[in-house]
Amino acid sequence: MWLTIYYIFCYLVFGYTMLLIAGYIWLVFMSRLAQKQLDINLPDDETIKYLMQGSPLTPAVSIIAPAFNEEVTIIDSVNSIMQIDYPDYEIVIVNDESTDRTMELLIEEYKLVEVPYDIAMRVQSKPIKRVLKSTDERYSKLIVVDKVHGGRKADGSNAGINVCSNKYFVCTDVDCIIEPMALYRMMWFVINSHKPMIGVGATMLMSNACIVENGKVVEAAVPSAPIPMFQQLEYLRSFLISKLGWSRINALPNISGGFGLFDTDVAVKSGGYDPMSMAEDVDMLLRMVTYMKNSGQDFQLALVPKVCCWTEGPGSLKQLARQRTRWARGLFEIVSNHRKLFFNPHYGPIGGLTLPYLFLFEFIAPIFEMVGFFFTIWLALTGGVNWSAAFLIFGTIYVFSAFISFFVIFFDYKLKAVNWKHTKASYLKLLLATLLEPFIYHPIITYCSNVGYWRFIVNTTAVWTPIKRTGVKKRS
Amino acid sequence: MGTISFIRYYISLFMAYCKFLFAFVIYKFADYPDEVKVAAMISALCVMIIVVMILVLFVMSWKNKRTQRLRDRIEKKYGKGMEYIVSQEASELLSEEDIERAFGFDRSELDGPLLKNNREKHMFVEIFYLYFISKRSELSKTENSHTMLRMFDIPDYLEKEISLGSMKHKANALSKMRTFKLPISPWVINKLLNSKYMRVQRLAMYSNVMSSSDSALDYFETDFFDKNCCIKDEIELGFSLQRRRKMGLKLPNLARWAHIQSNEKTQCMFVRLMRRFNEIEYCGELKDLYNDSKKKKLIEEISRTWGYLRYIESEELLKKALLTQPDDTKVAIMHALTRLATGNSLDALLDGFKNTTNPHVRYEALRCIYNYGPEGRALFQELEKNSTDADKKYFDFFNNPITLEKIRLDKEQAYHPSVETVFNG
Repeated sequence: MWLTIYYIFCYLVFGYTMLLIAGYIWLVFMSRLAQKQLDINLPDDETIKYLMQGSPLTPAVSIIAPAFNEEVTIIDSVNSIMQIDYPDYEIVIVNDESTDRTMELLIEEYKLVEVPYDIAMRVQSKPIKRVLKSTDERYSKLIVVDKVHGGRKADGSNAGINVCSNKYFVCTDVDCIIEPMALYRMMWFVINSHKPMIGVGATMLMSNACIVENGKVVEAAVPSAPIPMFQQLEYLRSFLISKLGWSRINALPNISGGFGLFDTDVAVKSGGYDPMSMAEDVDMLLRMVTYMKNSGQDFQLALVPKVCCWTEGPGSLKQLARQRTRWARGLFEIVSNHRKLFFNPHYGPIGGLTLPYLFLFEFIAPIFEMVGFFFTIWLALTGGVNWSAAFLIFGTIYVFSAFISFFVIFFDYKLKAVNWKHTKASYLKLLLATLLEPFIYHPIITYCSNVGYWRFIVNTTAVWTPIKRTGVKKRS
Repeated sequence: MGTISFIRYYISLFMAYCKFLFAFVIYKFADYPDEVKVAAMISALCVMIIVVMILVLFVMSWKNKRTQRLRDRIEKKYGKGMEYIVSQEASELLSEEDIERAFGFDRSELDGPLLKNNREKHMFVEIFYLYFISKRSELSKTENSHTMLRMFDIPDYLEKEISLGSMKHKANALSKMRTFKLPISPWVINKLLNSKYMRVQRLAMYSNVMSSSDSALDYFETDFFDKNCCIKDEIELGFSLQRRRKMGLKLPNLARWAHIQSNEKTQCMFVRLMRRFNEIEYCGELKDLYNDSKKKKLIEEISRTWGYLRYIESEELLKKALLTQPDDTKVAIMHALTRLATGNSLDALLDGFKNTTNPHVRYEALRCIYNYGPEGRALFQELEKNSTDADKKYFDFFNNPITLEKIRLDKEQAYHPSVETVFNG
């Protein structure tokens, strides 16, 4: 009987692995098709700007950036956001009752005064205490919202949604460095879509090794420290293969909370961000999709394959573990809260394809890997391993993962997603990360995911601990 | 050995190696279980693809370097001349000799053409395009650019690309010609209108709207834009109509074009364009559409257009509609009544303020009353005096200079007056 179970398990693992490989190949194929389409439909930045900047039809955008205890970086960050090149936008900074001098600094620097503001609480958030605007005309785009402490970014974002007045809003973190052309690139997809565009995602990368000058990234580089270097490769893979591939069939499962554009009306009607969620970005997108599908409306989702935003990623193992444990909890939450959408063709390709893929290959994979790891140890101890076959299968998986990462490097070069300063050195570092990742980085991520699932199951109180920022290299 | 046969030779060599690798894998793992065989095949396939990718990366890198070298060479040789052509110094009509001087060459001394092959021409167009869209002064004469492009045989090259190139080349060349405002032969446009690619068809249609003669334009009164219409179409059509007007050509009857379409979004697009280009003579033609339509957005756009274009005859129709339309449309109608500024609509605006509980509509009604001349201002003050605590917040907006600045933000202000400037000019 045990032998039968053993064989069933072995074939199950084999079938699962083959399916996973097929899934990845399919995504690579889809992202290649998406690239071909973008080759024709996505012009260079100058052309986009030429067409959009003088037109009264260019849609206005609100940029929402919640801030909590950011006294060290807040002025630099706001100045950086203000450098965005776009004809019509407003910046909404939401102060989540900071206990440091964040608010005072903002008031002093931008000469803010309290203004009467009629705020319709369209989505749930903690009460807004006051709204401030600048008396200096140079900062007329800036609105600062002072609200009661909510403790989560989602709550701050919701307050920003309540205050913003434009048809589209971009949600970002106050410490992100936004590319000056980012809004043009994102809005290009909006003005080109004949269906209502409800969300546009943008490629984000690590700013850890970049050099920043006056709030702009002037030299993009791959970090040399191992943890950020692996993450750089992982982010590239996620955006240029996975998300780009899904966007080809209008089934983007996630628009990153770090930098994503949404239709304000649809976001409001679907309830905005959930302040209790650990994966509030995926959660809101899925609710928006549910709303559109249930109300019988067609919609479009898109991804900009060029880097639009730089963020500082966790630099140490401890911080990485904390972040990934939280993400895993978020994934579990998504799987349990939106189970109605899974394998449900009513919700189009997202329900029928993306979410099943997410469930089978993102959610279950860490569990499979963990079980497989212990099972192999047990087999090794009992002498049940055919070592030559085992090495060959391990070699196959290793070569395949290298093959996927190679594709990312290839796509990045072709799409010119990032304008790396030292091209050869950057690609060599990415290549090194490709070769080492399966041995060093991947086991850590698998472990953290399983810890996250476990914490969700035993219902440990979730604590949102912000990543400790060390700051990017600055050149004045 | 020619380049193609050289490449063919290496491809066949690579294919032979792949065949050998597969045969070797099958032979080597013949005694192993099936899963191992599958794994071995996958590994072999992955390795082969990785090798191909590395080779392609090298080729791409070599090609990029070559292109960059060409770009640098052309930029160095002609960059100064291009900059001069698009600068304000070229505000007067220049002769070919003047342009030659600016570029620093004498054609009589040259043997062959200035640009030797299509690669050089392509690069020249790309560089000049960047200068044209990013550095061009309003004062520079487009005719100078045309003369310069003709000197380098660019119009012929672009027309050839349109006729013979792939879809990507066609679209690229057509959009370049449109941007440089080069005349495009009608036969080329007609041919492209029958293209199987929607993108090429659209570009051809924009070019047609931009440059065809007045009589030829009626021929294109079709529901062409009904399918898959987006904001970019409106931007491109706006660009074409603007160019048409500058060339002294008559604009099409956009009200009739709105009639022809069945899609609400497309109808709205033409009504908006009408307002942008001050097409007041056709405003009356929108009355049928206004009366018959149940499309909320369309009614909103027509109301706005009548308001912006001061079509006084529509005032009674607007007042009647104010009582029956939903909130969003009410705001548009109130703005239109304010912009008409006849002095007869104050009661209607007051009704608009009183007969709703929607705070946005109430605020907008108040804004219109505030801006409705001295009578409106008097009524506003009276309303402020008698306001309840709940209504006080609406009046606060008008007493604060910062928020007032915000509400004055009107996207169409560049083309038409906002409600704040109707009476004051």
